[in-house]
Parts: sequence; C-alpha cells; structure tokens
Amino acid sequence: MPLLKEDTHAQQSKLAHYCKTGIKPDLIGVIEENLHHYRRLVFNIGIDTIETAYPITYRFLPDEIWDKLVYDYYAEHKCKTPQVWRMPLEFYEYCVEKDIQSKLNMPFLNDLLHFEWLELEVHTMDDMTYPSFTTKGDWLNSPLALNPEHRLVKFTYPVHILAATELEGKAGDYFLLMYREKESGKVQCMDISILYAYILEQLQNGITLQAILTEADTLFQINDFEMLKEHALNFINDLKQREFIPGLLNT
Amino acid sequence: MQLKDNKHIGIGFRKDFSEEFLASDVLKPAFIELAPENWIGMGGYWKKQLDKAAEKYPITCHGLSLSIGSPDDLDLDFLHKIKKFIKQYNVQIYSEHLSYAKCDNAHLYDLLPIPFRKDAVKHIISRIKQVQDVLEMPLALENVSYYTPVAAEMDEATFISEIVNGSGCNMLLDVNNVYVNSFNHKYNAKEFITKLPLDKVSYIHMAGHEQISDTVIIDTHGEAVIDQVFDLFEYTTGLLKPVPVLLERDFNIPELKELQGEITRMETIVSKTWKKEHAIA
Ligand SMILES: [Fe+2]
Repeated sequence: MPLLKEDTHAQQSKLAHYCKTGIKPDLIGVIEENLHHYRRLVFNIGIDTIETAYPITYRFLPDEIWDKLVYDYYAEHKCKTPQVWRMPLEFYEYCVEKDIQSKLNMPFLNDLLHFEWLELEVHTMDDMTYPSFTTKGDWLNSPLALNPEHRLVKFTYPVHILAATELEGKAGDYFLLMYREKESGKVQCMDISILYAYILEQLQNGITLQAILTEADTLFQINDFEMLKEHALNFINDLKQREFIPGLLNT
Repeated sequence: MQLKDNKHIGIGFRKDFSEEFLASDVLKPAFIELAPENWIGMGGYWKKQLDKAAEKYPITCHGLSLSIGSPDDLDLDFLHKIKKFIKQYNVQIYSEHLSYAKCDNAHLYDLLPIPFRKDAVKHIISRIKQVQDVLEMPLALENVSYYTPVAAEMDEATFISEIVNGSGCNMLLDVNNVYVNSFNHKYNAKEFITKLPLDKVSYIHMAGHEQISDTVIIDTHGEAVIDQVFDLFEYTTGLLKPVPVLLERDFNIPELKELQGEITRMETIVSKTWKKEHAIA
C-alpha cells in the first residue's frame, strides 16, 4: 500500500497543476493571497529558460503569439528532464509535434528553433573523445580525423544565414556545419553546399577523400575530377586551419 | 570535509561570476557549492571552468530536482547520475530541499511546499532511505521557505523533525529560510530553531531575500544578507557544533569583494561561537 494517502497526493497535484496553468485550485488551509507567488515563480523560471535559449524566435514572434505559445506549452507539456537547461529541447519538440509552424503560418519556425537549440547543444554537450590522428600521410587515400563535437544538419530555410524577417519565400536545401572549438569551447558555424555536406558525411563514415570524390564526380554530374579535387582540397584545407580536421586517422 | 585554510564559509559557484572568481583571489571561500543538475553531462567551456574550480576548492552539492517530497516515484536513473558526479568530484556533502519540484511526471523547477502531514512524513522517510541506499552516503535535507502551508496537519518544526529523526538523514539548516518563514508565518525564529533536530545539522545556508509587502518576504537569493539574519546566524551557531556554512547568492551578483565582505563577517561570527578546539564535522 502506498504510504502517501490519495488525498495528500491530490493536494500536491492541485498545487502543481495550478503552477503549470494558473487556474486557481481549491486547496485546504492555504493563504489564498500568497498562492500566486508559486505560479509566478514557476512560470518565470520556465519563461526565462525558454527566452534565453531562443532569443531570435522570442524577438521575432509578436508578443501575444509568443506569450500564448509559452503559456500553452507550460500548461500542456510535462517537462521530463530534471536539468532545466535541457528543457528548451522539449519546447522545440513540442512546437514540432503540435505543428505550431503551420498554425502560425511560419514555415521556417521549426528550422529556426532547431538552429537556436543546436547552438546551445553544441556549446554544452558532453566532451567527446577525439580520435587518435597523425598529421603526416596521404590525405587523399587515408580516412581523416574529424572533431567529433559537431552537428551537420540540413535546413529548409537559411535560418543560420538570414535574419528571421528575411526568411519568407527562401525555401531550399541548406546545410550547416556547427562545431565546438576544442580549446576555447566556442561554437562555430559554417554554411556549406550540398556537395561539401556530402563529402563531410562520407568522411564521417571513414571513407577516403579519393573514393568520395570519385563517387561524387558522377553523383553530382560534375565530370571534371581534377577541378572537383581542387575545390574539395581547398575545403579540406579550410577545415584543417579551423582544426576541425586535425589530421589523418591513426589506423 | 577538509575545508580550505581551516575556514568554514563557502560560496555558491555560479556561471555568472566563475571567470572572475577563478582568475582572482578576491573571494576566499573554504569550499564551493553547486547544483549537480546544472553541470551533469555538460562539456566544453563550462566543464573546463568546473574542473578548474574543483582543483582549487572542495565541492559540496546542493540538488534541485530530486524532489524528495514528490508523490511520483524517485528517478533512479537521475540518482545514479548524481552518484557518479559526486564520486567524480569527491563531494562530501549532498543536500537537497524538503519540498517537491516534480509532480505527476512534470518537473516544475521550483520548490513547492509539501503538506505537513503524517502520511507525507512516512512517504518521505522511505524515499530518503532509498536515496541514501543508492548514494551510499547521507542526504542532508534543507528547511525551505514557503509562502503558504498546504493541507497541514502538524507544524513545520514537527514535520521536519519527524522526517530527519525517522530517516536518519542530516539536516541543512537554512537560517535565512527560518527568518523568511518566521516573518511570513508570524512565529519566533529563535524558538523555531530550538525545536529542530540540531544534533543532525551538518550544513548551514545563509542568503539574502526581498520583502515585497508588509506581510511577505520572498526568498530570492538576490540581495545581501540582512543584519537580522546575521544575528539569527550567530544565535544558531551558538547552539551547534562546527559545520560548513554556505553563502547563497544566485541573482543580482554584486562585486566579488562585497560577497567576500559577507563571508568575512560570517567567518568572524563563527570564530567566536565555534572555538578553535572544535574540529569540523
Ligand atoms: Fe538554501
């Protein structure tokens, strides 16, 4: 038998529900005029956390739309994570699940929230082990080591390039490489083409540059291997300078 | 716990001032306290800052989301993460709030008042035992500030005492919270303190608050500690054996030398009330 009586549980549930919704509960033995402090404190923590995580979306959406969205989220959603700084991910997931972007007729909303969440995620994500690498060897025919602390994502809207006010009508294929610098911990963003996104994805899979480019030459109907190689090597050099590619994988 | 330079007063480690704190020695705490929830699973820049801090100071943990008073089941997965963190940073004190922050599977990220009732006491005692079994260390539970009782059938001091004595856990005595509650609920703070299980107090909190009306003080941790709370602190430490004391400052962070001023004032008080022959618990 549970030690906690149903009635006590019910009192606790009512207070918690009030904090989530702001709808006055009937509770036993409370100081009515002080109850609102709990709703205010709980709701403010929630709002602050979300507004700090999504500053662009927050500034872009009209106040009344934002306020309703945050109100609905807090009232309807049950926050699962015990770590409040991870909670904004649940807000993003909630917006996707409820298809808020269609309801608001803002088809770029999911991408925008995703982008803002990624910045937070890449900045804070757990340290990952770098692969063992060497700087000497055949760069074309050896698998390359990549900074593991990164995300490679595809967007339908260029949320990482344009201001939110300029996104309308810009649907397309956009690729973003976001990574964390090892020493400084700073987050860097690179807008890359579909070809470079393909190369990076294949490099991640341990495929050599020579093999990737041979494949890409036909896949992207370039049919000029030397030119492709030159461009690709420039791209790789850029990533080397950024220390995103520190060297060749030690095998 | 081995405190730095044989002092007693620690400071809450906040991201807001970590850079300045670690780069200077304006603040001279005996230890630092942090919420494990804010650091578990975090890498990059903040992990480096945390590791730097851990090299310089002993760490105590003060949790936020255990929700010991919740009707929900304990989150064992989360508890194991806490345990790992505690081991990793050689944490000697893990404290939490005698309140609930999660209900019906929803986290609220704030401290709600538990009904002061017999069944809640039993429920919480069994949960404390479960937590202590998993962590293999005692839990220290803090008296929280509250703005209204809910469905109470006993007084606050009895509620706290029954839980602490019945579970064998330690108590974190937050002196400011006693002051805040004594104001909001119109009782005598010193009298209240004498009713607590003082032999179980293993840790003390001190903080500032904000009086928002003639009848209500909110426990903000955003202001300097007021004289009346220092007085209550002096009174309280006179009743206790030496334990670590923490200055909580979460918002509205002033110049670090101001915080050090508060630390020094507390250090001066305990150097009087806790004579040097006492070894720290
Ligand atoms: Fe406290």
